[in-house]
Amino acid sequence: MDIRVRNNVTVTGRADGPVLLLAHGFGCDQNMWRLIVPALAENHRVVLFDYVGSGRADPAAWNERRYSSLEGYALDVLEVCEELDLRDVTFVGHSVSAMVGVLAAAKASQRISRLVMVAPSPRYIDDEGYRGGFSTEDIEELLESLESNYLGWSAAMAPVIMGNPDRPELGQELTNAFCATDPDMARVFARTTFLSDSRDDLKTVAVPTLILECSQDVIAPREVGAYVHSAIPGSRLVTLTATGHCPQLSAPQATAGAITEYLGTAA
Amino acid sequence: MMGCTDQTSEPGGERDAHAADAVFTSLLEDSAEELYEQAPCGYLSTLMDGTIAKINATLLDWLGLEGSQVVGRMRFTDLLTVGGKLYHETHFAPLLQMQGEVSGIALDLKAADGARLPVLVTSKVKTSQQGEPLLIRTTVFDARDRRAYEAELLRGRTAAEEARRQAEEARRQAEADRARLQEALAVLQQSLLPSALPEIPGLEAGSYYHTASPDLLGGDFYDLFALDGKRWAFFLGDVCGKGPQAAAATSLTRYTLRAAALHDPDPVSVLSTLNMVLHERYSSGDSRYCTAVFGVLEHGEDHVSVQLASGGHPAALVQRADGSAEFLPTPGGMLIGVLPRAEFTATRTELRPGDTLLLYTDGLTEARTGPERELYGEEALHAFTAAQPAAGPQALVTALTGLLAGFGDGLDDDTALLALGMPPVSAPAPDSET
Amino acid sequence: MTPLTITSRDAATGPVLEITGDLDYTSAPELRQLLDQLTLMAGQQLVLDLTGLAFCDSSGISALLAARSRAMEQDATVALAAVPANTARILRIVGLDRVFALYPDAAAAVARASVTDLTA
Repeated sequence: MDIRVRNNVTVTGRADGPVLLLAHGFGCDQNMWRLIVPALAENHRVVLFDYVGSGRADPAAWNERRYSSLEGYALDVLEVCEELDLRDVTFVGHSVSAMVGVLAAAKASQRISRLVMVAPSPRYIDDEGYRGGFSTEDIEELLESLESNYLGWSAAMAPVIMGNPDRPELGQELTNAFCATDPDMARVFARTTFLSDSRDDLKTVAVPTLILECSQDVIAPREVGAYVHSAIPGSRLVTLTATGHCPQLSAPQATAGAITEYLGTAA
Repeated sequence: MMGCTDQTSEPGGERDAHAADAVFTSLLEDSAEELYEQAPCGYLSTLMDGTIAKINATLLDWLGLEGSQVVGRMRFTDLLTVGGKLYHETHFAPLLQMQGEVSGIALDLKAADGARLPVLVTSKVKTSQQGEPLLIRTTVFDARDRRAYEAELLRGRTAAEEARRQAEEARRQAEADRARLQEALAVLQQSLLPSALPEIPGLEAGSYYHTASPDLLGGDFYDLFALDGKRWAFFLGDVCGKGPQAAAATSLTRYTLRAAALHDPDPVSVLSTLNMVLHERYSSGDSRYCTAVFGVLEHGEDHVSVQLASGGHPAALVQRADGSAEFLPTPGGMLIGVLPRAEFTATRTELRPGDTLLLYTDGLTEARTGPERELYGEEALHAFTAAQPAAGPQALVTALTGLLAGFGDGLDDDTALLALGMPPVSAPAPDSET
Repeated sequence: MTPLTITSRDAATGPVLEITGDLDYTSAPELRQLLDQLTLMAGQQLVLDLTGLAFCDSSGISALLAARSRAMEQDATVALAAVPANTARILRIVGLDRVFALYPDAAAAVARASVTDLTA
């Protein structure tokens, strides 16, 4: 199987620059990085991909068992690294992908030498002495949302798709398409994301790590950022003045700036 | 009447038109403010960070909140259920930021009293002339009916998937059950036959078992075993019927023959013991009978002597080294297990090098052959055997196996073959091989 | 393959079953079932008329033996009439030619039974 096709890998930026591997979180796909890629591409070789089950990855490669644990997603990362023979990689993971990066780095320290965690959370569900912000019932509600929006999307979009059989690129018309994944795969990714507990894995981090948190994030509140920071010795925590869970979209300049500044590659 | 109405209608109609205009004008003069506040959908404007800057009365009414509680104090996500918040953060907000607008997203609002209100949300970013995002405008439609319909669709789809899954599961289960049953049957069937024939110095043996149906245990059986240092016992037979009951009777028969042979190997007395056992065991209710040939082999100087008896079984056949063949008739030997006392007929012969004794069940002779589906018969078997080169038991069994295969579906019963003999002189004896 | 049909009639000496077609593993249960429902008095003779019997395998033989057991339970007797050559051969092989009373046809079986009656 061609990993580049399977994971819809795209490579951009300076061919001889240090490697940045950008990994999207639960919800959308590599488009999430669109606003910061231009800034990063100036001095880096930027590698983007979609996890199997998301975006334009090959749906035929889906395997519910494999992608029911974060290890399965980490395997995607490692296989992309090997396919492209990436070395000395800075892995930038958004949300749940930050934890995928932790697993991947533990398995392939010869390839991944730095981590940038964007809005990470090692556990979303509240636990004794730990506040992740959510309950198991909340996650069930999210699954319902996925289900009903899939229906809504398909009902609204089917005529558009059917009416333009000779236009593979529908562009703007498919307004909600970036986040429209197969609902069964999305459900598995959602469960894996929100029901996993990666707190113990944080202790295994042995590479320099930058944590980027948002000042207002309902998914990964600041106390979670502080928890991650304290769990990874030597990590640096940067709080971006940004609202929401996606600073790479809501505050792209600040996000790209924080990354290049940390790496010492600021333009 | 008609004329009268017609006459007065002209000026009156003019008056009506004026009145309609006036009403229309007053409708048009309905203030934009009024239109915003009382629109049949919810309106909401937020800053780019989600803070609510403006909200209409319709939406406040749905939420059961006052404007003062909301404006400048709450973010859009504060109005959502927790699941909706997660969906907003992972899907809605990224899309809005990437595309500038998002339409028709299903979310649930959480009213002040805790009630959930299904809505469809469309948002659009308002930008300055320089393209800077300024604020987000959002319309909220009551989607109770639509969501109920969708829930119905979803339930239908889930039910269909569940039904499909269950059918699939049942099919898999049935297949697994069938496989397990077949495996159990195969194991049981094997227990009715020796897994391998014993090696006997100076003697060669061959056997074959054809199962007519993998689902039905057959009632054919055979065995070959040592009695003492010099003598060997063999038997082959057929229990009437098929299936588990027949298999149980076959098992009883096999072990009775073995035990009886060790007690007293005289063929007639062995078969008499079996007759007694079967008759007693099956005298009431479900009758089980069998036919069998039992015999004893004993090495002589240059030959093997055979003593055998038959109860209701087709006559054994001897293939001679000189290319002839002969039946060993045992007339009057009775079906075993029918009568409390039964007569069995004994006979004897000698096997010299190249001679082969063949025992078979009637699956072979009762097979249907040819276009007329004639019974194969004992004469054809005699002719076939005589026509084979005298190359020993295994060669004869191989030839007969080929014959059986040629019967195709004309062979509709289980068939057992057991052949015993002294190897031909031309072939090296097994124990003289180097 | 000829389907099995069994017709039953009453002679002076007892029931006569005319068995035609194949009596084998699949059809033999029909005969057994019919035997179970058959009314048979002590001293009567059950005649199985095999004129039309096309084929009889070991299950068929078992069914004939079941008829014999059934008759004996009722202190009745059993006779086989017009046994076809091939089945007669099998009966001989399994020694049952000495267990069943055999007659060339049903009439002979009935007549013989009447004679026995008279002499008894």
